[in-house]
Amino acid sequence: MRHPVNIPTPASFSREHIQTVGDMFVENARIQCRNVDVFYGEKHAIQDVSLDIGRNEVIALIGPSGCGKSTFLRCLNRMNDTIPGCRISGEIKLDGLDIYANGLDVVPLRAQVGMVFQKPNPFPKSIFENVAYGPRIHGLAANKLELEEIVEKSLRRAGLWDEVKEYLHHPGTGLSGGQQQRLCIARTIAVSPEVILMDEPCSALDPIATAKIEQLIDDLREHYTIAIVTHSMQQAARVSQRTAYFHLGKVIEVGDTALIFTNPRHQLTEDYITGRFG
Amino acid sequence: MNNPKEDSQLSNLGIRTHQIVKAGLPRRRAAETRFKAYGLICIVAGLGFLVLLFGNIISHAWSAIEQTYVALDVTFDESLLDPEGKHDSAVLAAADYPALLKKSMSALFPEVKDRQQKRSLNGILSKGASYELQRILVKDPSLLGKTERVWLPVDDDVDMLVKSQIDRSVDEGDRRLKDYQIAWIDKLMADGRLEKRFNRQFFTSGDSREPELAGIQGALMGSLFTLMVTAFLSLPIGIASAIYLEEFAPRNRWTDIIEVNINNLAAVPSIVFGLLGLAVFINFFGLPRSSPLVGGLVLTLMTLPVIIIAGRSALKSVPPSIREAALGIGASQMQTVFHHVLPLAMPGILTGAIIGMARALGESAPLLMIGMVAFIVDVPTGLMEPSTVLPVQIYLWADSSERGFVERTSAAILVLLAFLITMNGLAVYLRKRYERRW
Amino acid sequence: MQKSTLLLLLLLISAYAFHLGRKRARDIVLGKVKTLHSLPNYYGYYTALWSLLPALLLLILWLGFETPVINHMVMESLPDGSQALSADIKGLLINDIRNSMNAGGSDTKPELQAAVEFLRLLKIRSGWLLSFLAVALAFVGAYFARSRIHKEHRARNLVENTIMSFLLGSSLIAILTTVGIVLSVLFESIRFFDKIPLTDFLFGLQWSPQIAMRSDQVASSGAFGAVPLFTGTLLISSIALVVAVPIGLMSAIYLAEYASLKFRSVAKPLLEILAGIPTVVYGFFAALTVAPFIRSMGADFGLDVSSESALAAGLVMGIMIIPFVSSLSDDFINAVPQSLRDGAYALGATQSETIRQVVIPAALPGIVGGILLAASRAIGETMIVVMAAGLAANLTANPLEAVTTVTTQIVTLLVGDQEFDSPKTLAAFALGLVLFLATLALNILALHIVRKYREQYE
Repeated sequence: MRHPVNIPTPASFSREHIQTVGDMFVENARIQCRNVDVFYGEKHAIQDVSLDIGRNEVIALIGPSGCGKSTFLRCLNRMNDTIPGCRISGEIKLDGLDIYANGLDVVPLRAQVGMVFQKPNPFPKSIFENVAYGPRIHGLAANKLELEEIVEKSLRRAGLWDEVKEYLHHPGTGLSGGQQQRLCIARTIAVSPEVILMDEPCSALDPIATAKIEQLIDDLREHYTIAIVTHSMQQAARVSQRTAYFHLGKVIEVGDTALIFTNPRHQLTEDYITGRFG
Repeated sequence: MNNPKEDSQLSNLGIRTHQIVKAGLPRRRAAETRFKAYGLICIVAGLGFLVLLFGNIISHAWSAIEQTYVALDVTFDESLLDPEGKHDSAVLAAADYPALLKKSMSALFPEVKDRQQKRSLNGILSKGASYELQRILVKDPSLLGKTERVWLPVDDDVDMLVKSQIDRSVDEGDRRLKDYQIAWIDKLMADGRLEKRFNRQFFTSGDSREPELAGIQGALMGSLFTLMVTAFLSLPIGIASAIYLEEFAPRNRWTDIIEVNINNLAAVPSIVFGLLGLAVFINFFGLPRSSPLVGGLVLTLMTLPVIIIAGRSALKSVPPSIREAALGIGASQMQTVFHHVLPLAMPGILTGAIIGMARALGESAPLLMIGMVAFIVDVPTGLMEPSTVLPVQIYLWADSSERGFVERTSAAILVLLAFLITMNGLAVYLRKRYERRW
Repeated sequence: MQKSTLLLLLLLISAYAFHLGRKRARDIVLGKVKTLHSLPNYYGYYTALWSLLPALLLLILWLGFETPVINHMVMESLPDGSQALSADIKGLLINDIRNSMNAGGSDTKPELQAAVEFLRLLKIRSGWLLSFLAVALAFVGAYFARSRIHKEHRARNLVENTIMSFLLGSSLIAILTTVGIVLSVLFESIRFFDKIPLTDFLFGLQWSPQIAMRSDQVASSGAFGAVPLFTGTLLISSIALVVAVPIGLMSAIYLAEYASLKFRSVAKPLLEILAGIPTVVYGFFAALTVAPFIRSMGADFGLDVSSESALAAGLVMGIMIIPFVSSLSDDFINAVPQSLRDGAYALGATQSETIRQVVIPAALPGIVGGILLAASRAIGETMIVVMAAGLAANLTANPLEAVTTVTTQIVTLLVGDQEFDSPKTLAAFALGLVLFLATLALNILALHIVRKYREQYE
């Protein structure tokens, strides 16, 4: 377990403080991040990020590659713990509770904050077992019937049920890329999380599969809080209500998606969305 | 749009989930700790075996560093050794030294009269003691007629007793030494006539039926000759083969077959190579049994797959850009490989080759098949002479019932392990020193 | 002349030929090397190869056929009565003659005196003739090659083609080895099955290969039912796997998933030392320490343990194959993509749940392949069982009793004096055939699984 306390900034690194533009904070936030810094060894990957994620909203994290948006996302359910040499300081609260508190168990945290990855990563098991895995390890189903119920519900929610109901016991790796990604979403939903993190969920998919996933994200917003990292500005515009623009490890601008794309306030944001770099 | 009822249901579900997850946590954390502990226990067990093995061998081996010698006052009696007074070295060499020893022993223990007891009194000395005496006199004939105090090796049972490896409390009938023999030895010890000295014999002589005379030099030379043949053949052939398969061979079914075949050969039991050697090299080609030449040939065939596999992976790790650069300035493919790729891959190839050689050095099963188990006293001096190798010598000694061979077997194992560790250390050093990341 | 001296001389001549060829090439173009087809060195190599290769070929052929030809000539020289002797007796006779020649002729039987002298003479003549021919051939080759050199001569291509043939030939040796193994084992086995029916061998329950000297003794024909050997081999190998698989697998899991980098870099090589220790050392350890220990432990519990129990040999063999299981498993566990682990962690799985339910199932084919390879290693292991397992062919599944194995019997049957026709000796080859086929099947299956698995994640 890594203790994120008072990690000194490397001497070589001169910290120029950039004030984030826009509304970083919302009322009644589900996740509150304050002054988060992340280091990979000597590399300062995230610098002083403060950001709120509201309830039942989709927030898009955009920015050029290597800007730290994925790293930031992985902080939210402590997936960075699995990377050797990664240190985090600052404060991240889920429903008012510090998720980096000493002695906090990551297991229930990750059950609450699910994650979908860039490349679909179904387990080499059957479709049913893939979805049932989470409920099984957490003991969410009292019996087989309940388990089947959860699996069906999750697959329905992920919009995959009709396509796979005949093949529940075929390997999950046999599905197409888009189906695999929806399977992974169903797998995440099955543990009834409150927040779902999505790390470029469509970057490995074709446009039709992408459209399906985007539709799904929109439907899921009803029940879940979603943070999505995306490389595509169009996607951010289509699925999110709020958008945060990351640049070289800092949050440059946060705001309503519509506003950011039509009327960016910071020069860097404007350069990025008008395609001057990225 | 949001149905408030469903929303509250859902948040209830979230809370319920959270509670269930929390409830299951202690059990899951305990399982986690247990699982991790099993892993650690298994590693400790594996390393424990290693320590046990080495500890066991070393504890048996350390006493072989020394050998007990007894000081005898020997009168080089001219009337006995050279009655005609010729002072010829041939006469001196052929003289009756055991008689000399008997006289000296009786002088030490004049009270022993019984024939049988006299014989066991002489048994305190090693059977090699008379040769030692002969060596001394032939080297310095002026000793003739004089009385000298000489240090001679004792019999292995006596040696074991002095090293306290024979338990005196055991019933006399179950012991290799009788009570009266022990009394003699104690007397010798009290007189300061017994002394443990560095066991040079062990490193400078060949095999013997007597533990106190047995040494590993014969086996070491046999190993050396065998490995020479192996290295001389398997290095060029292995490297050539690796080069062909990696750099020149077309990718087709043939090369696939060769590849599968090589991987399989690397896993064929070594004893099968022994059968091959017996049937082909000895029975078909009529090469001499027990010779380092045949041993080396068999080990070559065994080592080849190891060298080829290591060589190929070393060649594979040289990036294609190097080849393209050389080809681009008009070098032939052969020149590209021999001028650029091979030198870069050489450390990796050599590492593999050394590891293959180390394995060949420790191998014994196939050599049993081709007759390298014979009892051979003379130190071999050529590739065609019957000889044995160090691991087989260990096997032979391990089979002997004499107590004195246990420590010598262990010591021979230590020598073998020392060679292996040196070779593997060299391989690790090579890898560390020349490893290149592309 | 000594063969090594001759070899050295040939090398010297070829070095001279190298010089000769290079000089010739330079002279032809009057020093304007650029106008040559190849670099002058290649003309040197070309000449040297022409000088060395034919002479070497002659040397090898000569050495191969010298002994049989000389033997034949010596036999021809013997008095007429000897010609009618059987092949075996002839062989013995020749051996006698050779031995007494090597011994210096001091204790030769008088009737062989002439033959010994003749043999000595032939050997000396053969040696000189070979030396003369080889040296002559080396010079002829060198001057022939030199005469062929001209400006357009494609020396580099010729040299490279020769090297290429050498490379190709080298890679064929592996195939030849396999063919050699199959043929040598197969032929002797067929001769064995001529004498003992295949079904008796494969399904017979009685193994006592000792053939009596006189026909009126018991078991005069010997019994060659190999089932007790197969069961013994399986028993010991199973014990070994029962020891090695859990320890090896759990060690690999700990090293790959839990251990810090530092711990791993120390523990992994240390564990692998176990695989590098010569098997004869394990055999010694098993016979000297483990077997007596198990015996006395058994005595404490009131069990009668054989001093050559299968348990002792199996345990020690298990220790030996721990690294085979662990290092292969470690490779495969590491090859499981991190994304799968991430997927499980993101659902809230603990590390051990992830390992047991995601990583191990994903790596399972590779691990199974590794275990199969370890099993093949255990079945073919010789020294440990020769030193620590017994010779008694008991048909039992009790690990406390002594059993014997296929490899032990091969060694027992072939070590020592042997006649090449007795079923006893041939039986060793039949056992060798079974052993080769069994391990071949295991290896191919294992390598196939491993290869499939590697492709899946690459």
